[in-house]
Amino acid sequence: MDIEELQSAWTQMSNELNQQKKLTNQIILDMTKQKYQNKFTTITKYETLGALICFAIAFFILINFQKLDTWYLQVCGILTLSFLIVLPAMVLSTLKRIKNIDILNGSYKDNLKLYLKTKNRLLRLQQIGIAVGFIGLVFIVPVTSKIISNKNVFLTSLKTEQYLIFAITMVAMVFFCKWAYNGYLKVTRSAQELLQDLE
Amino acid sequence: MQKEEVFTDLIREHQALLYKVTSIYTDKKEDQEDLFQEIVFQLWKYFDSFRNDSKITTWMYRVAMNTAITFVKKKKRRPDSVSVADVFITQSDYKDDVLEEQLKLLYQQLQHLNTLEKGLIFLLLEGKSYKEIAQITGLSDSNVGTKISRIKKKLKTNMTKQ
Repeated sequence: MDIEELQSAWTQMSNELNQQKKLTNQIILDMTKQKYQNKFTTITKYETLGALICFAIAFFILINFQKLDTWYLQVCGILTLSFLIVLPAMVLSTLKRIKNIDILNGSYKDNLKLYLKTKNRLLRLQQIGIAVGFIGLVFIVPVTSKIISNKNVFLTSLKTEQYLIFAITMVAMVFFCKWAYNGYLKVTRSAQELLQDLE
Repeated sequence: MQKEEVFTDLIREHQALLYKVTSIYTDKKEDQEDLFQEIVFQLWKYFDSFRNDSKITTWMYRVAMNTAITFVKKKKRRPDSVSVADVFITQSDYKDDVLEEQLKLLYQQLQHLNTLEKGLIFLLLEGKSYKEIAQITGLSDSNVGTKISRIKKKLKTNMTKQ
């Protein structure tokens, strides 16, 4: 095969390709939109998985709620349930809103305004989630301990290794929260740049 | 006509060009789909900045090839791209067996070239003159000529080896 044959094969392929007009307007516009939405796909996957786990734990607590036999354990139970249901639901709904910004049809100014507003809400929710996560340990531990091993931690003194596990969990949470929050910042920043590029 | 309409008409009209760029720079179908999407996005992004001082296809070649080069450098998989699987034709879709075989050989040969060489030979195969290739790539006319004759020699040597 020589260069001329390559050229001829290429021309023949080009002619065949030119006859094919498979792309529709919708596919083309979707490709542009998808690029923006992709920025949030990974986050949404993790958040959805996280939310499902939270909802499953909430369901488990709910069906065992009668085991929380003192008023303070019941308060802890209600706080745990709110933490496990409300926060993930709010994060998912904000992510949905941010992904659904119509970058092609809305005006640039309106889109950017809406994006910044939703982004701030999302980051604020994450900050709240991190803070509540730490405080949450104080009321989640008694609830799970009571339901799973029927122990009231408020009336039992903890052993040294239990304090140690608690401390290690706290340190691991600090690193995890920092990593996750930075990931959020990176994605939202890059999506914002993408929107600005579209001006 | 609305901007979106003009843009989509343009992409539909020249989708073969985009397909060919993706097939030159990538060999996996998933990468081709991702690159195709990336090129469409970049064309949309810079659509407003296109001035009529060059042909629209010259501008499209330039954006598509620059995007492909950046894409190859990054070589990063993007998740969940819009499925354009149906709009791509694969080599096995060609009815002509001889053509299919020739194209296979052609792509094999192109794999031996570096990114710049691939771009230059692609434009040559597209029937572009040295002047047009220079306009698209930003190289001088004479540089294009020198480089292309080197690529031709390289291809010839490779082909006679096989």
